[in-house]
Amino acid sequence: MDYFILLTVSGISIGVIYGLIGMGYALIFKATSVVNFAQGEVMMLISYMAFSIASSWSLPFWSLLGVCVVLSGVVGLLIERIFIRPMLGQDVFSTVMVTIGMAVMIRAVVVLIWGADPMVLPTDIGDSGVEFGMVFLYTAQIYAIGFLAVCVFGMWAFLRFSRMGVAMRATAARETTALLMGINVTRVYALAWAIAAVIAGVSGVLLGTIYGLGPDMWTQGLRAFPAVILGGLDSVFGAAISGILIGVLENLSEGYIGHGLKEISGFLVILVVLMIRPYGLFGTPEIERV
Amino acid sequence: MLNVNNVQIVYDNVIEAVRDASLTVDEGQIVTLLGSNGAGKSTILKGISGVLYPEEGDIIGGTITLDGENMIGRKPDEIVRSGVVLVPEGRQLFEPLTVEENLMMGGITRNRSAAAEALEYVFSVFPRVKEKRGMIAGYLSGGEQQMVAIGRALMSRPRLLMLDEPSLGLAPQIIAEIFEAVTDLSKQSNVSVLLVEQNAELALSIASYGYIIENGRVVMDGTPAKLMNNEDVKEFYLGFSESGNRRNMRDVKHYKRRKRWLS
Repeated sequence: MDYFILLTVSGISIGVIYGLIGMGYALIFKATSVVNFAQGEVMMLISYMAFSIASSWSLPFWSLLGVCVVLSGVVGLLIERIFIRPMLGQDVFSTVMVTIGMAVMIRAVVVLIWGADPMVLPTDIGDSGVEFGMVFLYTAQIYAIGFLAVCVFGMWAFLRFSRMGVAMRATAARETTALLMGINVTRVYALAWAIAAVIAGVSGVLLGTIYGLGPDMWTQGLRAFPAVILGGLDSVFGAAISGILIGVLENLSEGYIGHGLKEISGFLVILVVLMIRPYGLFGTPEIERV
Repeated sequence: MLNVNNVQIVYDNVIEAVRDASLTVDEGQIVTLLGSNGAGKSTILKGISGVLYPEEGDIIGGTITLDGENMIGRKPDEIVRSGVVLVPEGRQLFEPLTVEENLMMGGITRNRSAAAEALEYVFSVFPRVKEKRGMIAGYLSGGEQQMVAIGRALMSRPRLLMLDEPSLGLAPQIIAEIFEAVTDLSKQSNVSVLLVEQNAELALSIASYGYIIENGRVVMDGTPAKLMNNEDVKEFYLGFSESGNRRNMRDVKHYKRRKRWLS
Protein backbone atom coordinates (compact mmCIF):
# COMPACT_ATOMS: atom_id res chain seq x y z
CA MET A 1 0.00 0.00 0.00
CA ASP A 2 2.79 2.37 0.91
CA TYR A 3 4.44 1.57 -2.39
CA PHE A 4 1.18 2.34 -4.21
CA ILE A 5 0.77 5.70 -2.51
CA LEU A 6 4.36 6.57 -3.18
CA LEU A 7 4.00 5.76 -6.86
CA THR A 8 0.72 7.64 -7.10
CA VAL A 9 2.02 10.77 -5.47
CA SER A 10 5.15 10.95 -7.56
CA GLY A 11 2.98 10.18 -10.56
CA ILE A 12 0.77 13.12 -9.73
CA SER A 13 3.71 15.44 -9.33
CA ILE A 14 5.09 14.64 -12.79
CA GLY A 15 1.56 14.41 -14.19
CA VAL A 16 0.98 17.99 -13.14
CA ILE A 17 3.81 19.02 -15.43
CA TYR A 18 2.31 16.97 -18.28
CA GLY A 19 -0.99 18.64 -17.58
CA LEU A 20 0.54 22.10 -17.78
CA ILE A 21 2.37 21.40 -21.02
CA GLY A 22 -0.77 19.73 -22.32
CA MET A 23 -2.84 22.81 -21.57
CA GLY A 24 -0.51 24.75 -23.82
CA TYR A 25 -0.97 22.25 -26.65
CA ALA A 26 -4.73 22.30 -26.20
CA LEU A 27 -5.03 26.08 -26.03
CA ILE A 28 -3.07 26.64 -29.22
CA PHE A 29 -4.93 23.86 -30.97
CA LYS A 30 -8.27 25.16 -29.80
CA ALA A 31 -7.63 28.69 -30.99
CA THR A 32 -5.63 28.09 -34.15
CA SER A 33 -6.12 24.37 -34.96
CA VAL A 34 -2.34 23.99 -35.07
CA VAL A 35 -0.59 21.42 -32.92
CA ASN A 36 2.49 23.14 -31.58
CA PHE A 37 5.10 20.43 -31.36
CA ALA A 38 7.58 22.90 -29.89
CA GLN A 39 5.66 23.23 -26.64
CA GLY A 40 8.16 21.12 -24.67
CA GLU A 41 11.05 23.00 -26.30
CA VAL A 42 9.61 26.37 -25.32
CA MET A 43 9.44 25.05 -21.77
CA MET A 44 13.07 23.97 -21.96
CA LEU A 45 14.16 27.32 -23.42
CA ILE A 46 12.48 29.29 -20.65
CA SER A 47 13.92 27.10 -17.92
CA TYR A 48 17.42 27.62 -19.31
CA MET A 49 16.79 31.34 -19.48
CA ALA A 50 15.64 31.12 -15.88
CA PHE A 51 18.95 29.40 -15.09
CA SER A 52 20.91 32.32 -16.56
CA ILE A 53 18.83 34.85 -14.67
CA ALA A 54 18.98 32.92 -11.42
CA SER A 55 22.72 32.46 -11.58
CA SER A 56 23.40 36.11 -12.52
CA TRP A 57 21.19 37.73 -9.91
CA SER A 58 20.10 35.62 -6.97
CA LEU A 59 16.45 36.49 -7.14
CA PRO A 60 13.94 35.08 -4.70
CA PHE A 61 11.82 32.34 -6.27
CA TRP A 62 8.70 34.42 -6.79
CA SER A 63 10.56 37.27 -8.49
CA LEU A 64 12.30 34.75 -10.72
CA LEU A 65 8.93 33.27 -11.61
CA GLY A 66 7.55 36.75 -12.33
CA VAL A 67 10.45 37.59 -14.64
CA CYS A 68 9.98 34.25 -16.41
CA VAL A 69 6.27 34.88 -16.90
CA VAL A 70 7.03 38.14 -18.70
CA LEU A 71 9.92 36.56 -20.60
CA SER A 72 7.93 33.57 -21.79
CA GLY A 73 5.05 35.80 -22.84
CA VAL A 74 7.47 37.74 -25.02
CA VAL A 75 8.95 34.51 -26.38
CA GLY A 76 5.46 33.28 -27.24
CA LEU A 77 4.60 36.51 -29.04
CA LEU A 78 7.88 36.47 -30.94
CA ILE A 79 7.38 32.87 -32.04
CA GLU A 80 3.90 33.72 -33.26
CA ARG A 81 5.04 36.85 -35.05
CA ILE A 82 8.17 35.41 -36.67
CA PHE A 83 7.26 31.80 -37.45
CA ILE A 84 3.52 31.38 -37.32
CA ARG A 85 1.96 34.54 -38.69
CA PRO A 86 3.62 34.24 -42.10
CA MET A 87 1.98 30.81 -42.30
CA LEU A 88 -1.53 32.25 -41.90
CA GLY A 89 -3.78 31.05 -44.68
CA GLN A 90 -1.46 28.17 -45.47
CA ASP A 91 -2.27 24.56 -44.87
CA VAL A 92 -2.46 23.65 -41.18
CA PHE A 93 -0.09 20.79 -41.92
CA SER A 94 2.62 23.16 -43.14
CA THR A 95 2.29 25.18 -39.96
CA VAL A 96 2.65 22.03 -37.90
CA MET A 97 5.82 21.24 -39.83
CA VAL A 98 7.08 24.71 -38.97
CA THR A 99 6.55 24.00 -35.28
CA ILE A 100 8.51 20.76 -35.62
CA GLY A 101 11.32 22.67 -37.29
CA MET A 102 11.14 25.24 -34.53
CA ALA A 103 11.39 22.47 -31.95
CA VAL A 104 14.59 21.10 -33.45
CA MET A 105 16.01 24.59 -33.68
CA ILE A 106 15.29 25.47 -30.07
CA ARG A 107 16.89 22.23 -28.89
CA ALA A 108 20.02 23.02 -30.86
CA VAL A 109 20.16 26.63 -29.71
CA VAL A 110 19.82 25.59 -26.07
CA VAL A 111 22.73 23.15 -26.34
CA LEU A 112 24.71 25.74 -28.28
CA ILE A 113 24.31 28.42 -25.63
CA TRP A 114 24.15 26.49 -22.38
CA GLY A 115 25.93 23.28 -23.27
CA ALA A 116 24.75 19.70 -22.97
CA ASP A 117 25.63 19.05 -19.33
CA PRO A 118 22.87 18.60 -16.79
CA MET A 119 22.57 21.58 -14.49
CA VAL A 120 20.78 22.57 -11.33
CA LEU A 121 18.41 25.50 -11.41
CA PRO A 122 19.57 27.52 -8.42
CA THR A 123 16.50 28.79 -6.62
CA ASP A 124 15.99 29.55 -2.97
CA ILE A 125 13.29 26.91 -2.57
CA GLY A 126 15.69 24.26 -3.87
CA ASP A 127 15.62 21.28 -1.52
CA SER A 128 12.96 22.46 0.86
CA GLY A 129 9.78 20.46 1.07
CA VAL A 130 7.00 19.15 3.22
CA GLU A 131 6.47 15.67 4.54
CA PHE A 132 2.95 14.24 4.32
CA GLY A 133 3.03 11.05 6.33
CA MET A 134 5.54 8.96 4.46
CA VAL A 135 5.62 10.93 1.22
CA PHE A 136 7.92 13.86 0.81
CA LEU A 137 7.04 16.62 -1.63
CA TYR A 138 9.40 19.36 -2.73
CA THR A 139 8.09 22.88 -2.40
CA ALA A 140 8.30 23.22 -6.17
CA GLN A 141 6.11 20.14 -6.58
CA ILE A 142 3.49 21.66 -4.34
CA TYR A 143 3.74 24.91 -6.27
CA ALA A 144 3.30 22.98 -9.51
CA ILE A 145 0.10 21.39 -8.25
CA GLY A 146 -1.13 24.79 -7.12
CA PHE A 147 -0.17 26.40 -10.40
CA LEU A 148 -2.05 23.76 -12.37
CA ALA A 149 -5.15 24.40 -10.28
CA VAL A 150 -4.80 28.15 -10.82
CA CYS A 151 -4.30 27.65 -14.56
CA VAL A 152 -7.30 25.38 -14.93
CA PHE A 153 -9.55 27.75 -13.06
CA GLY A 154 -8.06 30.80 -14.74
CA MET A 155 -8.44 29.38 -18.24
CA TRP A 156 -11.95 28.27 -17.52
CA ALA A 157 -12.94 31.73 -16.31
CA PHE A 158 -11.09 33.39 -19.17
CA LEU A 159 -12.73 31.29 -21.89
CA ARG A 160 -16.16 31.54 -20.33
CA PHE A 161 -16.46 35.09 -19.09
CA SER A 162 -13.97 37.40 -20.76
CA ARG A 163 -14.78 38.83 -24.16
CA MET A 164 -11.33 37.94 -25.46
CA GLY A 165 -11.80 34.38 -24.22
CA VAL A 166 -15.17 34.00 -25.88
CA ALA A 167 -13.65 35.53 -29.01
CA MET A 168 -11.00 32.82 -28.85
CA ARG A 169 -13.65 30.12 -28.80
CA ALA A 170 -15.56 31.87 -31.57
CA THR A 171 -12.45 32.06 -33.73
CA ALA A 172 -11.84 28.38 -33.07
CA ALA A 173 -15.38 27.57 -34.19
CA ARG A 174 -15.46 29.69 -37.34
CA GLU A 175 -12.57 31.81 -38.36
CA THR A 176 -14.11 33.60 -41.34
CA THR A 177 -17.22 34.52 -39.41
CA ALA A 178 -15.05 35.77 -36.59
CA LEU A 179 -13.39 38.09 -39.10
CA LEU A 180 -16.79 39.21 -40.34
CA MET A 181 -17.90 40.13 -36.84
CA GLY A 182 -14.85 42.31 -36.43
CA ILE A 183 -12.89 40.01 -34.14
CA ASN A 184 -9.20 40.74 -34.50
CA VAL A 185 -8.19 37.19 -35.33
CA THR A 186 -4.44 37.82 -35.45
CA ARG A 187 -4.60 39.26 -31.95
CA VAL A 188 -6.53 36.20 -30.74
CA TYR A 189 -3.85 33.94 -32.22
CA ALA A 190 -1.02 35.94 -30.70
CA LEU A 191 -2.70 35.82 -27.31
CA ALA A 192 -3.15 32.04 -27.50
CA TRP A 193 0.55 31.59 -28.28
CA ALA A 194 1.54 33.96 -25.49
CA ILE A 195 -0.60 32.24 -22.87
CA ALA A 196 0.62 28.80 -23.94
CA ALA A 197 4.21 30.00 -23.71
CA VAL A 198 3.64 31.46 -20.25
CA ILE A 199 2.18 28.18 -19.00
CA ALA A 200 5.10 26.30 -20.57
CA GLY A 201 7.58 28.77 -19.08
CA VAL A 202 6.28 28.50 -15.53
CA SER A 203 6.15 24.72 -15.75
CA GLY A 204 9.71 24.82 -17.09
CA VAL A 205 10.92 26.75 -14.06
CA LEU A 206 9.14 24.36 -11.72
CA LEU A 207 10.37 21.28 -13.57
CA GLY A 208 13.91 22.66 -13.57
CA THR A 209 13.73 23.27 -9.85
CA ILE A 210 12.47 19.75 -9.14
CA TYR A 211 14.48 17.63 -11.57
CA GLY A 212 17.26 19.92 -12.78
CA LEU A 213 18.02 21.04 -16.30
CA GLY A 214 19.23 18.86 -19.13
CA PRO A 215 19.25 18.83 -22.91
CA ASP A 216 16.57 16.14 -22.89
CA MET A 217 14.00 18.22 -21.01
CA TRP A 218 11.98 18.64 -24.17
CA THR A 219 10.96 14.97 -24.04
CA GLN A 220 8.51 15.99 -21.33
CA GLY A 221 6.63 17.71 -24.12
CA LEU A 222 6.45 14.44 -25.99
CA ARG A 223 5.33 12.63 -22.86
CA ALA A 224 2.61 15.21 -22.33
CA PHE A 225 1.25 14.62 -25.81
CA PRO A 226 -0.74 11.47 -24.94
CA ALA A 227 -2.35 13.52 -22.18
CA VAL A 228 -3.71 16.04 -24.66
CA ILE A 229 -4.96 13.36 -27.00
CA LEU A 230 -6.55 11.54 -24.10
CA GLY A 231 -8.24 14.67 -22.82
CA GLY A 232 -9.35 15.75 -26.27
CA LEU A 233 -7.10 18.00 -28.31
CA ASP A 234 -9.38 20.98 -27.94
CA SER A 235 -10.08 20.62 -24.24
CA VAL A 236 -7.83 22.72 -22.03
CA PHE A 237 -9.42 21.29 -18.92
CA GLY A 238 -9.20 17.74 -20.27
CA ALA A 239 -5.47 18.15 -20.88
CA ALA A 240 -4.91 19.08 -17.25
CA ILE A 241 -6.85 16.13 -15.85
CA SER A 242 -5.42 13.63 -18.32
CA GLY A 243 -1.92 14.92 -17.63
CA ILE A 244 -2.25 13.80 -14.04
CA LEU A 245 -3.88 10.56 -15.15
CA ILE A 246 -1.06 9.74 -17.53
CA GLY A 247 1.56 10.67 -14.95
CA VAL A 248 0.08 8.31 -12.37
CA LEU A 249 -0.43 5.59 -14.92
CA GLU A 250 3.15 5.78 -16.14
CA ASN A 251 4.44 5.45 -12.62
CA LEU A 252 2.15 2.60 -11.64
CA SER A 253 2.86 0.61 -14.78
CA GLU A 254 6.56 0.98 -14.24
CA GLY A 255 6.36 0.20 -10.56
CA TYR A 256 4.20 -2.89 -10.86
CA ILE A 257 4.77 -4.31 -14.32
CA GLY A 258 8.25 -3.44 -15.33
CA HIS A 259 10.86 -1.03 -16.43
CA GLY A 260 10.45 0.46 -19.89
CA LEU A 261 6.69 0.52 -19.75
CA LYS A 262 6.75 4.08 -18.54
CA GLU A 263 7.45 5.45 -21.97
CA ILE A 264 4.70 3.58 -23.74
CA SER A 265 1.93 3.15 -21.20
CA GLY A 266 0.47 6.56 -21.98
CA PHE A 267 0.30 5.80 -25.66
CA LEU A 268 -1.27 2.41 -24.97
CA VAL A 269 -4.04 4.05 -22.99
CA ILE A 270 -4.83 6.59 -25.69
CA LEU A 271 -5.05 3.81 -28.25
CA VAL A 272 -7.79 2.19 -26.22
CA VAL A 273 -9.57 5.39 -25.26
CA LEU A 274 -9.63 6.76 -28.78
CA MET A 275 -11.33 3.61 -30.01
CA ILE A 276 -14.20 4.30 -27.66
CA ARG A 277 -14.19 8.10 -27.68
CA PRO A 278 -12.49 9.35 -30.86
CA TYR A 279 -12.57 12.96 -29.66
CA GLY A 280 -10.93 12.16 -26.31
CA LEU A 281 -12.34 12.12 -22.82
CA PHE A 282 -13.31 15.79 -22.67
CA GLY A 283 -13.10 16.91 -26.29
CA THR A 284 -16.11 18.34 -28.08
CA PRO A 285 -17.75 16.11 -30.63
CA GLU A 286 -18.98 18.00 -33.71
CA ILE A 287 -22.36 19.56 -33.12
CA GLU A 288 -24.80 18.09 -35.55
CA ARG A 289 -28.51 18.57 -35.64
CA VAL A 290 -30.49 15.59 -36.80
CA MET B 1 -24.37 55.80 -48.98
CA LEU B 2 -22.56 52.70 -50.29
CA ASN B 3 -21.17 52.95 -53.78
CA VAL B 4 -19.67 50.01 -55.59
CA ASN B 5 -18.13 51.12 -58.83
CA ASN B 6 -16.88 48.88 -61.65
CA VAL B 7 -15.47 46.41 -59.18
CA GLN B 8 -13.49 43.50 -60.52
CA ILE B 9 -12.65 40.57 -58.24
CA VAL B 10 -10.41 37.61 -58.98
CA TYR B 11 -9.62 34.45 -57.04
CA ASP B 12 -6.12 33.00 -57.11
CA ASN B 13 -5.07 35.87 -59.40
CA VAL B 14 -6.71 34.28 -62.41
CA ILE B 15 -10.30 33.23 -61.85
CA GLU B 16 -12.48 36.21 -62.48
CA ALA B 17 -15.54 36.03 -60.25
CA VAL B 18 -16.83 39.57 -60.63
CA ARG B 19 -16.27 42.03 -63.44
CA ASP B 20 -17.51 45.57 -63.68
CA ALA B 21 -20.07 45.31 -60.94
CA SER B 22 -21.58 48.61 -59.90
CA LEU B 23 -24.31 49.22 -57.41
CA THR B 24 -25.55 51.83 -54.99
CA VAL B 25 -27.34 51.53 -51.69
CA ASP B 26 -28.89 54.66 -50.23
CA GLU B 27 -29.78 55.49 -46.64
CA GLY B 28 -32.67 53.37 -45.33
CA GLN B 29 -33.11 51.58 -48.64
CA ILE B 30 -33.52 47.86 -49.25
CA VAL B 31 -31.57 46.86 -52.33
CA THR B 32 -31.58 43.35 -53.67
CA LEU B 33 -28.98 41.53 -55.68
CA LEU B 34 -30.40 38.70 -57.77
CA GLY B 35 -28.66 36.08 -59.80
CA SER B 36 -28.17 32.39 -60.19
CA ASN B 37 -25.59 30.26 -58.42
CA GLY B 38 -22.03 31.29 -59.06
CA ALA B 39 -23.02 34.67 -60.48
CA GLY B 40 -20.74 36.45 -58.04
CA LYS B 41 -23.27 37.85 -55.58
CA SER B 42 -21.64 36.46 -52.45
CA THR B 43 -18.23 37.47 -53.75
CA ILE B 44 -19.37 41.09 -54.03
CA LEU B 45 -20.62 41.02 -50.43
CA LYS B 46 -17.37 39.48 -49.22
CA GLY B 47 -15.46 42.11 -51.16
CA ILE B 48 -17.38 44.87 -49.41
CA SER B 49 -16.73 43.21 -46.02
CA GLY B 50 -13.04 42.80 -46.71
CA VAL B 51 -12.95 39.04 -46.16
CA LEU B 52 -11.81 37.88 -49.58
CA TYR B 53 -8.23 37.31 -48.55
CA PRO B 54 -8.70 34.04 -46.63
CA GLU B 55 -10.01 32.58 -49.89
CA GLU B 56 -7.19 34.07 -51.97
CA GLY B 57 -9.58 36.57 -53.49
CA ASP B 58 -8.62 40.11 -54.39
CA ILE B 59 -10.29 43.25 -55.66
CA ILE B 60 -8.17 44.27 -58.65
CA GLY B 61 -10.22 47.10 -60.05
CA GLY B 62 -12.90 49.63 -59.31
CA THR B 63 -13.85 51.43 -56.13
CA ILE B 64 -16.00 50.74 -53.09
CA THR B 65 -16.89 53.81 -51.07
CA LEU B 66 -19.02 54.43 -48.01
CA ASP B 67 -20.12 58.07 -47.82
CA GLY B 68 -17.32 58.88 -50.22
CA GLU B 69 -14.64 57.15 -48.16
CA ASN B 70 -12.64 54.31 -49.66
CA MET B 71 -13.43 50.87 -48.24
CA ILE B 72 -11.05 48.70 -50.24
CA GLY B 73 -8.02 47.48 -48.31
CA ARG B 74 -9.54 48.16 -44.91
CA LYS B 75 -9.41 45.43 -42.30
CA PRO B 76 -12.64 43.53 -41.62
CA ASP B 77 -12.95 44.95 -38.10
CA GLU B 78 -12.58 48.52 -39.37
CA ILE B 79 -15.33 47.87 -41.89
CA VAL B 80 -17.62 46.60 -39.14
CA ARG B 81 -16.80 49.70 -37.09
CA SER B 82 -17.69 51.91 -40.02
CA GLY B 83 -21.18 50.39 -39.92
CA VAL B 84 -21.21 47.73 -42.61
CA VAL B 85 -21.81 44.16 -41.56
CA LEU B 86 -22.50 40.91 -43.38
CA VAL B 87 -24.76 38.04 -42.35
CA PRO B 88 -23.04 35.20 -44.18
CA GLU B 89 -24.74 32.58 -46.28
CA GLY B 90 -25.89 29.56 -44.30
CA ARG B 91 -25.92 31.41 -40.96
CA GLN B 92 -22.41 30.40 -39.92
CA LEU B 93 -23.09 30.67 -36.21
CA PHE B 94 -20.40 29.89 -33.69
CA GLU B 95 -22.05 26.54 -32.95
CA PRO B 96 -20.37 25.55 -29.68
CA LEU B 97 -21.13 28.95 -28.13
CA THR B 98 -24.39 29.93 -26.50
CA VAL B 99 -26.80 32.25 -28.26
CA GLU B 100 -25.86 35.11 -25.98
CA GLU B 101 -22.14 34.54 -26.55
CA ASN B 102 -22.78 34.54 -30.29
CA LEU B 103 -24.53 37.86 -29.97
CA MET B 104 -21.78 39.32 -27.79
CA MET B 105 -19.27 38.41 -30.48
CA GLY B 106 -21.31 40.44 -32.94
CA GLY B 107 -20.83 43.38 -30.63
CA ILE B 108 -17.11 42.87 -30.07
CA THR B 109 -16.21 46.07 -31.89
CA ARG B 110 -18.22 48.10 -29.38
CA ASN B 111 -17.52 48.71 -25.72
CA ARG B 112 -19.17 46.67 -23.01
CA SER B 113 -22.06 48.99 -22.16
CA ALA B 114 -22.86 49.71 -25.81
CA ALA B 115 -22.88 45.96 -26.45
CA ALA B 116 -25.23 45.36 -23.53
CA GLU B 117 -27.56 48.02 -24.92
CA ALA B 118 -27.37 46.48 -28.38
CA LEU B 119 -28.26 43.12 -26.84
CA GLU B 120 -31.53 44.52 -25.54
CA TYR B 121 -32.17 46.02 -28.97
CA VAL B 122 -31.65 42.65 -30.67
CA PHE B 123 -33.95 40.99 -28.15
CA SER B 124 -36.61 43.55 -28.99
CA VAL B 125 -36.24 42.82 -32.71
CA PHE B 126 -36.26 39.04 -32.21
CA PRO B 127 -38.08 38.18 -28.95
CA ARG B 128 -37.66 34.50 -29.80
CA VAL B 129 -33.90 34.86 -29.54
CA LYS B 130 -34.22 36.16 -25.99
CA GLU B 131 -35.96 32.95 -24.92
CA LYS B 132 -33.07 30.90 -26.28
CA ARG B 133 -30.23 33.07 -25.01
CA GLY B 134 -28.67 30.39 -22.82
CA MET B 135 -28.85 27.61 -25.38
CA ILE B 136 -25.98 26.25 -27.46
CA ALA B 137 -26.42 27.92 -30.85
CA GLY B 138 -25.69 24.75 -32.82
CA TYR B 139 -28.80 23.07 -31.47
CA LEU B 140 -31.30 25.74 -32.52
CA SER B 141 -33.66 25.25 -35.43
CA GLY B 142 -32.73 26.73 -38.79
CA GLY B 143 -35.10 29.67 -38.43
CA GLU B 144 -33.89 30.48 -34.96
CA GLN B 145 -30.30 30.23 -36.15
CA GLN B 146 -31.02 32.73 -38.91
CA MET B 147 -32.53 35.10 -36.36
CA VAL B 148 -29.44 34.74 -34.19
CA ALA B 149 -27.24 35.34 -37.23
CA ILE B 150 -29.08 38.54 -38.12
CA GLY B 151 -29.21 39.55 -34.47
CA ARG B 152 -25.48 38.97 -34.14
CA ALA B 153 -24.85 41.31 -37.06
CA LEU B 154 -27.22 43.89 -35.56
CA MET B 155 -25.12 43.89 -32.38
CA SER B 156 -22.68 46.21 -34.12
CA ARG B 157 -25.61 48.59 -34.77
CA PRO B 158 -24.83 48.73 -38.48
CA ARG B 159 -25.98 51.37 -40.92
CA LEU B 160 -25.80 48.85 -43.72
CA LEU B 161 -26.84 45.26 -43.15
CA MET B 162 -25.86 42.81 -45.86
CA LEU B 163 -27.82 39.56 -45.96
CA ASP B 164 -26.58 36.63 -47.99
CA GLU B 165 -29.51 34.37 -48.78
CA PRO B 166 -31.36 34.59 -45.47
CA SER B 167 -34.10 32.29 -46.77
CA LEU B 168 -31.74 29.40 -47.47
CA GLY B 169 -33.27 26.15 -46.29
CA LEU B 170 -36.07 27.69 -44.25
CA ALA B 171 -39.81 27.06 -44.18
CA PRO B 172 -41.96 29.69 -45.94
CA GLN B 173 -43.55 30.79 -42.70
CA ILE B 174 -40.18 31.45 -41.05
CA ILE B 175 -38.97 33.23 -44.18
CA ALA B 176 -41.97 35.54 -44.01
CA GLU B 177 -41.22 36.26 -40.37
CA ILE B 178 -37.60 37.08 -41.08
CA PHE B 179 -38.37 39.26 -44.09
CA GLU B 180 -40.90 41.13 -42.03
CA ALA B 181 -38.29 41.80 -39.39
CA VAL B 182 -35.85 43.00 -42.06
CA THR B 183 -38.46 45.36 -43.53
CA ASP B 184 -39.19 46.73 -40.07
CA LEU B 185 -35.50 47.28 -39.48
CA SER B 186 -35.10 49.45 -42.54
CA LYS B 187 -38.28 51.38 -41.84
CA GLN B 188 -37.98 51.89 -38.10
CA SER B 189 -34.26 51.87 -37.41
CA ASN B 190 -33.28 53.36 -40.76
CA VAL B 191 -30.89 50.49 -41.47
CA SER B 192 -30.02 50.08 -45.13
CA VAL B 193 -30.18 46.54 -46.39
CA LEU B 194 -28.31 44.86 -49.22
CA LEU B 195 -30.09 41.60 -49.81
CA VAL B 196 -28.77 38.72 -51.87
CA GLU B 197 -31.45 36.20 -52.71
CA GLN B 198 -32.30 33.28 -54.91
CA ASN B 199 -35.96 33.80 -54.24
CA ALA B 200 -36.43 36.73 -56.61
CA GLU B 201 -40.14 37.17 -56.10
CA LEU B 202 -39.74 37.48 -52.36
CA ALA B 203 -36.74 39.76 -52.56
CA LEU B 204 -38.38 42.12 -55.05
CA SER B 205 -41.45 42.31 -52.86
CA ILE B 206 -39.60 44.12 -50.10
CA ALA B 207 -36.85 45.87 -52.06
CA SER B 208 -36.95 49.36 -53.44
CA TYR B 209 -34.30 48.68 -56.06
CA GLY B 210 -32.80 45.59 -57.61
CA TYR B 211 -29.77 44.46 -59.57
CA ILE B 212 -29.46 41.32 -61.62
CA ILE B 213 -26.04 39.75 -61.84
CA GLU B 214 -24.93 37.15 -64.27
CA ASN B 215 -21.45 35.76 -64.82
CA GLY B 216 -20.01 38.40 -62.56
CA ARG B 217 -21.53 41.44 -64.22
CA VAL B 218 -24.59 43.53 -63.54
CA VAL B 219 -26.82 42.93 -66.51
CA MET B 220 -29.88 44.84 -65.45
CA ASP B 221 -31.06 47.10 -62.69
CA GLY B 222 -34.18 48.99 -61.81
CA THR B 223 -37.15 49.27 -59.50
CA PRO B 224 -38.94 46.06 -58.61
CA ALA B 225 -41.84 47.08 -60.83
CA LYS B 226 -39.56 47.51 -63.81
CA LEU B 227 -37.70 44.26 -63.17
CA MET B 228 -40.84 42.27 -62.62
CA ASN B 229 -42.25 43.44 -65.91
CA ASN B 230 -39.18 42.46 -67.85
CA GLU B 231 -39.79 39.38 -69.96
CA ASP B 232 -36.42 37.83 -69.19
CA VAL B 233 -36.69 38.36 -65.47
CA LYS B 234 -40.16 36.92 -65.56
CA GLU B 235 -39.02 33.87 -67.37
CA PHE B 236 -35.69 33.15 -65.73
CA TYR B 237 -36.16 34.48 -62.21
CA LEU B 238 -39.86 34.46 -61.46
CA GLY B 239 -40.77 31.33 -63.35
CA PHE B 240 -43.43 32.74 -65.67
CA SER B 241 -43.49 32.07 -69.38
CA GLU B 242 -44.07 34.85 -71.87
CA SER B 243 -47.76 34.33 -71.82
CA GLY B 244 -47.76 35.08 -68.11
CA ASN B 245 -48.72 31.62 -66.99
CA ARG B 246 -46.68 29.72 -64.50
CA ARG B 247 -44.35 27.51 -66.49
CA ASN B 248 -44.91 23.88 -66.90
CA MET B 249 -41.59 22.24 -66.17
CA ARG B 250 -42.12 19.79 -69.02
CA ASP B 251 -41.88 22.61 -71.51
CA VAL B 252 -38.68 24.06 -70.19
CA LYS B 253 -36.29 24.51 -73.04
CA HIS B 254 -33.76 27.03 -71.87
CA TYR B 255 -31.56 26.67 -74.90
CA LYS B 256 -34.26 27.80 -77.28
CA ARG B 257 -34.78 31.23 -75.81
CA ARG B 258 -31.72 33.34 -75.40
CA LYS B 259 -31.74 35.95 -72.74
CA ARG B 260 -31.98 39.25 -74.57
CA TRP B 261 -29.28 40.88 -72.49
CA LEU B 262 -26.75 38.40 -73.78
CA SER B 263 -26.21 40.03 -77.11
